[in-house]
Amino acid sequence: MPATDVAAKIRTALNDIKSADLDDPRLMEVLSLAENLVDSMKMFFGSLDNSIHGEFLHIGQYIARTRDEIAALRPNDIRESRLPTAGAELEAVVNDTETATETIMSLAEEIMTLEPDNLANYKAQVDEKMMGMIEACSFQDITGQRVSKVVSTLTHIEERVARFSSVMGVMDAVDDDCDEKEQWRKDNLLNGPQIDGPATGQDAIDALFDGDVSASELGQDDIDNMFD
Amino acid sequence: MAVDMAMPILVVDDYKTMIRIIRNLLKQLGFDNVDEAADGEEAFQKMQASGGFGLVISDWNMEPMTGYELLKQVRGDDKLKGTPFIMITAESKTENVIAAKRAGVNNYIVKPFNAATLKQKISSVIGDF
Repeated sequence: MPATDVAAKIRTALNDIKSADLDDPRLMEVLSLAENLVDSMKMFFGSLDNSIHGEFLHIGQYIARTRDEIAALRPNDIRESRLPTAGAELEAVVNDTETATETIMSLAEEIMTLEPDNLANYKAQVDEKMMGMIEACSFQDITGQRVSKVVSTLTHIEERVARFSSVMGVMDAVDDDCDEKEQWRKDNLLNGPQIDGPATGQDAIDALFDGDVSASELGQDDIDNMFD
Repeated sequence: MAVDMAMPILVVDDYKTMIRIIRNLLKQLGFDNVDEAADGEEAFQKMQASGGFGLVISDWNMEPMTGYELLKQVRGDDKLKGTPFIMITAESKTENVIAAKRAGVNNYIVKPFNAATLKQKISSVIGDF
């Protein structure tokens, strides 16, 4: 029941009591106080109504905006189409490179076992196998296109997530969602090849094993640690 | 002392292609007696079961047992601790190299590598051949 209706009902009840022709002045005083209280309550509940209404309106608008932003992320498109496609492309890249490697290595191994007893025959066989290797290298064109598609998908997701995060003012939570296997990998495995070549070159590693630390690219702290 | 070209060599890598590449490189260098394992656990079992390998060439990144863990187990085993051990990795952060050296690795090769590099590292570990 709205606050104004409650106040009106109390006021009616007070008027009924007053019109009952009561003589006690103290009771009339109490009734007067009650009337003042009703007026105050009416003003209080009125402001409370407006405040709550404003809060709910704000929450409603926030939810609507969040829903619009999530819709703009196109999560169903990402989950049902883009990510499965990207996964399939990467699997195809692995298969393509594996097949090409297998072909090239087999041809190389066959060349190494050829008997060079007849030069013309030997050359013909080497030429044929070399041509097979060149053909197998066409995998690079195919895998390059596949990887480009995956990069495009990642860029698409990255842009949308970044926009969502920015618009909604999202702060990153603490990363504690790491299962046992993932934790083992973090603790025990290396990260694999670095972009732009190895962090420490073979020459620097050789210098370390030769004891020629002056030629090494290793920092002094690293070297000091080795002698601790 | 002359290097025994017939000595058994254990190649440890979880990628069959890499094992095949190293096998071929070793063959070109004159080593034909090559065995393989897909991770540290299998490698350690093979080492314990065999009469001993003359050289172990191992990748670092393998599951469930890494090459680094294999190295530590080998160095901690009275029968196997003297086995020459070369580590091969694609990642070569300084701390990894230092950790491997401290654990007793004899040499360390960064991927990708060629036959000349492999020959040089094997020579530095077991002598010229």
